[in-house]
Amino acid sequence: MSRRRSGFFALALALVLAGCQSGSGGGGVIPANIFNAVTQAYTGVNPADVQGATTDIDEAEEIELGRSVATALGSRYKLLRDEALTRYVALVGNAVALQSDRPDLRYYFGVLDTDEINAFAAPGGYVFVTRGTLQLMRDEATLAGVLGHEVGHIALRHHVETIKDQKKAALGKGVGTTAARVGSRFLPGAGGAAASGLANSPLMNLLADGLVNGLLKGWSRGEEEQADVVGVKYATRAGYNGAGLRDFLKAVQDTGKQPASSGFFTKWTETHPGTEDRLKEQENQLKTAPTGGRRAASRFETAMATLPKSTPAAPATTGTPGSKAPSR
Amino acid sequence: MRRTTIAISLLVVAATATTAAETTRWVERTKVDIRAGKGSYYEIVETLVKGDTVDVLKTEDKWVSVRTKNAKTGWVYEAALKPTPVQPGTSEFLKSAPGDTTTSRTAASQGAKGVYAQSYAKEKGYDYGIVTWMESHQPTEPQIEAFLKDPGEKSGGTR
Repeated sequence: MSRRRSGFFALALALVLAGCQSGSGGGGVIPANIFNAVTQAYTGVNPADVQGATTDIDEAEEIELGRSVATALGSRYKLLRDEALTRYVALVGNAVALQSDRPDLRYYFGVLDTDEINAFAAPGGYVFVTRGTLQLMRDEATLAGVLGHEVGHIALRHHVETIKDQKKAALGKGVGTTAARVGSRFLPGAGGAAASGLANSPLMNLLADGLVNGLLKGWSRGEEEQADVVGVKYATRAGYNGAGLRDFLKAVQDTGKQPASSGFFTKWTETHPGTEDRLKEQENQLKTAPTGGRRAASRFETAMATLPKSTPAAPATTGTPGSKAPSR
Repeated sequence: MRRTTIAISLLVVAATATTAAETTRWVERTKVDIRAGKGSYYEIVETLVKGDTVDVLKTEDKWVSVRTKNAKTGWVYEAALKPTPVQPGTSEFLKSAPGDTTTSRTAASQGAKGVYAQSYAKEKGYDYGIVTWMESHQPTEPQIEAFLKDPGEKSGGTR
């Protein structure tokens, strides 16, 4: 950082700490227009353009946060880079997503290389299913049910509500003010943003961290119930047998193991019998769901031919997720 | 007879005017992609921003076939359009995202293109290549179309 820039940084920091960067409220040391002009001259960004941060979420912002969460999940669990398998999962996923309440959103599907039985939905259309989950399935209808559930979280904008809450909290703490929005071009944000040269935003990073933590801690019971309901609906609309999600939950129950308390299973399993409750709800929903629908068992079996049976426990790919990834 | 003809002509003109007015729609979202088909996996024909207008050609399954001001035709999900004028505008995010800060049109068409996520991944020590790989290994439009037409197999329909 040059001396000139350092000087401006010190000045800006002092102004921010003094809470007078806008010069509003009559208590400002420097008039807002002068502050804004100086800031724009140094940073190229006029604080007037980015102040007044609201909790509104733009779809582009949701997608960008989805990419951040996807990198975190893919690094934590390791992405299985099997082209044919990924394509098949994505074909089923797209068939279901096309019937969702957000069919105009572009969805991306991936397989996580872990024995853990789980599935995750990141904001903006990024959906993951684990190898352990696929190994437990017997047909395409089951996969459609699980992917329908995950697409449901996205279509019902569960992440968007989470982001809004986080933004509200961040704004309350002043994180969403000019300094945080502008990021490295104005102040060195959390994590040494100044060095990146990219459009780093402490607020965006904070939101991404919050979303990853949220996914690993789990959705609320109400959100899970909603995703289950629409998941079955999307799968049946796509022509699948609506019992797929129920069959998956039953298969999980039949393993006799306590499922993970994150992603697909979440808080519900921590405080309730979980899978058993969801199975009951599924049986109730199936009473009024369309009957019939395809299972596509042989196509599923063919697609799973390349699925590794198990992988030796290996640390996640890059970085140091062990120390930096959010704890579960 | 002449009066009747005039009356009918006026009715026709009025009806035509009404139809024309009804076929214009305004983009309500900060960004909307006009696609080559009725699905999010189709190629993007053009990206429009809030306040832009389109002419409606037809509607099928909640997807609207439209013609843009640039004379391009494509499909857009009906929830993105409004039948009454919408003031141009952008979001706080697109305003601060890299791109054309005047209209945010560039930012809207390209999104943030992963710049925030790349920066986040770098800071955390994560591999952004995960996103790149995922986004580049999704099925193509013809593959999805073929898959949707293929039932896979007949089911028993039992539960």
